[in-house]
Amino acid sequence: MTQARAITLNALGLYAVALVLMAAFAAQFILRELPCPLCLLQRILFAALAVGPILNIRFGPRPSHYAMSLLAAVAGAVASTRQVLLHILPGDAGYGSALLGYHYYTWALIGFIAAIILIAAVMLFDRQFEDDGAVLPPTGGPLAQIAVWLVIALTAANVVTTLLECGFGACADNPVVYELLK
Amino acid sequence: MEFTLLFLAVAIVMLVAWRGSRPLALGLFAAVLIACVATYLHHATDTLKLSF
Repeated sequence: MTQARAITLNALGLYAVALVLMAAFAAQFILRELPCPLCLLQRILFAALAVGPILNIRFGPRPSHYAMSLLAAVAGAVASTRQVLLHILPGDAGYGSALLGYHYYTWALIGFIAAIILIAAVMLFDRQFEDDGAVLPPTGGPLAQIAVWLVIALTAANVVTTLLECGFGACADNPVVYELLK
Repeated sequence: MEFTLLFLAVAIVMLVAWRGSRPLALGLFAAVLIACVATYLHHATDTLKLSF
């Protein structure tokens, strides 16, 4: 895999993270389901997944950048596994509504595991880490630049919505209203 | 409040990764990840009734 192809793959990874963050917003605003603290932590770790690809696009692919995303994905998988286990007993309806039979935290666990597998698979291609002499577009080209700013904008939007939801104190265990809007 | 700060910190790390220096981005990312793990452990040691 060439450096240019790896950068394109990283940009696509950023679009995948953006899709996850937009899906979370869709559940929050369309279904009016406020995210619980563990749900927020999983969102934060999905956003943290994006830092590695941003560095790969700007400075070129490096194993350390992929390692950062791997660490974020493992932490996210731990948090979502805990939430799955909290609702694993028979008769427990789970937290929030289900999408295609799975709750959002189950989808989050699947997403984090998929990220771990995909990042490990991409790291198998050593040629991306060698300077192949190709002239790369500055900061990855338009596709990558849009992806980076989209993910940053969605993360910034989460700053605002989380502040509205939790206010300046501890976030409610089972939030039903926006603390700063009531 | 801690979740708002964590989102803000991740947004800042992204901006530093995109515009700032690489070592600073790596250091900030490590700090944010440690803060995330600490937040998780804080909640994981609470007595739980629901998903939090």
